Amino acid sequence: MHHLIVDNVAKTYGETRALKGVSLAVEKGELFGLIGPDGAGKTTLLRSICTLLVPDSGSITVAGLDISRDVPAIRAILGYMPQRFSLYQDLSVAQNLRFFADLFQVPKHERPERLARLYHFSRLEPFKSRLAGNLSGGMKQKLALSCALIHTPEILVLDEPTFGVDPVSRQEFWEILHQIRAGGTTIVVSTAYMDEADQCDRIALFFEGEIAAMGSPAAVKGAFPYRVYRLSGTALQDLKTFLEGQPEVRGIQLFGDALHVSFSEKPSPETWREWARRGGFPGLRWEEISPSIEDVFLAHMAGETA
Amino acid sequence: MTKIFYMIRKEFLQIFRTREMVAILFIMPVIQMVVLGFAVTNEVKHITLIIADRDNSRLSREIVAAFSNTDRFDITGRETDVREIGLDIHRWKAQAALIIPNHFGRDFRRGLRPDIQMIVDGLDGNAAGVSVGYAGGILREWAEAQARQTPRLAMVKQNTPQLELIERLWYNLDLRSAQYMVPGIIVVLLTIISMLLSALSLVKEREVGTLEQLMVTPLSRFELLMGKLAPFLILAFIEFFVVLGAAQVIFPITMKGSYALLSLEAFLYLFTTIGLGVMISTIAKSQQQALFLSWFFMLFLLMMSGLFIPIANMPQFLQDLTLLNPMRYFMAIIRDVFQKGSGWQYLFTDTWRMTLLGTLIFAVSVLRFRKRVS
Repeated sequence: MHHLIVDNVAKTYGETRALKGVSLAVEKGELFGLIGPDGAGKTTLLRSICTLLVPDSGSITVAGLDISRDVPAIRAILGYMPQRFSLYQDLSVAQNLRFFADLFQVPKHERPERLARLYHFSRLEPFKSRLAGNLSGGMKQKLALSCALIHTPEILVLDEPTFGVDPVSRQEFWEILHQIRAGGTTIVVSTAYMDEADQCDRIALFFEGEIAAMGSPAAVKGAFPYRVYRLSGTALQDLKTFLEGQPEVRGIQLFGDALHVSFSEKPSPETWREWARRGGFPGLRWEEISPSIEDVFLAHMAGETA
Repeated sequence: MTKIFYMIRKEFLQIFRTREMVAILFIMPVIQMVVLGFAVTNEVKHITLIIADRDNSRLSREIVAAFSNTDRFDITGRETDVREIGLDIHRWKAQAALIIPNHFGRDFRRGLRPDIQMIVDGLDGNAAGVSVGYAGGILREWAEAQARQTPRLAMVKQNTPQLELIERLWYNLDLRSAQYMVPGIIVVLLTIISMLLSALSLVKEREVGTLEQLMVTPLSRFELLMGKLAPFLILAFIEFFVVLGAAQVIFPITMKGSYALLSLEAFLYLFTTIGLGVMISTIAKSQQQALFLSWFFMLFLLMMSGLFIPIANMPQFLQDLTLLNPMRYFMAIIRDVFQKGSGWQYLFTDTWRMTLLGTLIFAVSVLRFRKRVS
């Protein structure tokens, strides 16, 4: 059963079309990722799901409830963690948790057990009486997550939860999300970090208010029609210019000290040697790699698969 | 409804998190009231005066003595040269000069009714008018005393108008400025605290992003606003009584009316100022903007309230405009209750106008305060 259904949702801010008719469906208990750069429309969609925004057209249902009509019912079963840290910095960890438990009217007798569980995975118990404003970035995110989970929501909506958090804390955060999903909670999470896509059950690649590709990370990568090679050596700029003139080349992306080049068909070893000779790239090394989400995304951005 | 209580508790936790806040809320207003209560006075005293006694007779010396025996005037110099007097006034050395002409004493005794000239620096029109009034009073008293002593002069005096003004000052017999100004200052302090703090607190939630978090909770807009505003209503009320109590201990003033009535009126007034706070929070995007806007509003509220400048002195158009100023009503009400001990029947018009205005302001502000993000 679909826990969240987004049907042809569009939203325009003045001249900007933030969402251009987006449709997706999330299964119950699924960890669904919205992957895309800033300004792709992820936040607009998430805010609409949380009943904070009313789309111009289209419909969204959360657990069978309509976002424009059943606002209180949705708010009771939904946990939301906005993009920015939005807890009370001048209240302590325990006071923040208590405040949100109060607002969601969590029964008193259930609280010790829930808090124990939240403190267990967030490991914030030793910092209970510390002011939220004095926590590290990673701890703040875990506190925000704990507050969003205090009423054990059926669906958890997270807007770029790992933004600006160090890599270790990011990994830890994802592990927590996996634990929560294992408990049966549906999670919709957005991120601009492409490497986090593999953490999700299914993803939607967002670009300019539209979904460019959707499916499991493996399926999205598997649907990529071209062969991807990682090229390294010297004079990468010249190599890039040279390859752009070759008919088999579909796309070239610069990845640090290497080029990721997608080809419509696998070049033969002769072709490689021919290129190295003709172009004068003596130290050229190449290896075939499986495409990453980033390759797929950049290819979509460049309009290569269109 | 219990959710409102949780909001209020959270708000108080935040307010009293820092000791500075307690000082800002309760100690600073008392200090402000004390300083302003003594400073803001429209009494004109110690007017610096130059005496030009060209006569130097017994009578002229008596007049000079009358001027030096009052704290209304301070005699700062004696100078007979008119040009020098002009320069002294120009140099701010004196505010006024009293010129007694040659042969004043002789002419007065002969019943020729000689003139005495008074030159006053008219830059501060109010003070100038008051000092002329004082001088006239002193001279009249002196002349009457002379008439009583010398019956022959009383005969001459028959030419003077047979009309005598007998003054009785009601409500504030000693013309004490504090009696009139201190209640006004209390209104100003009350307005600042309630309007500014409620606006800042709401804008802070928006600025920090907690408002977005609150909006996805089952808290309704009504509960959200009530929970945010009730603490400031309570605080402003407590502050009202703290300042009111302190004022009566520190200043020689008396509260003549009913505390219950004044509290009710204060409650109705706070409703409007907190409504203004919500209004500001719906316009301002940051706490800085909210602060600026509050002061912008505050200046109008203050200057158009009749605190310093009587509304009746304003041009008609501006007088009509002050009907939109909630502070105008409470300023009048608190002075009425405080000084005259007026009962509700005398405050009725001001009260319903203030309440209507407050309801309007509050309703518009609350409607503007959407529970969704923009």
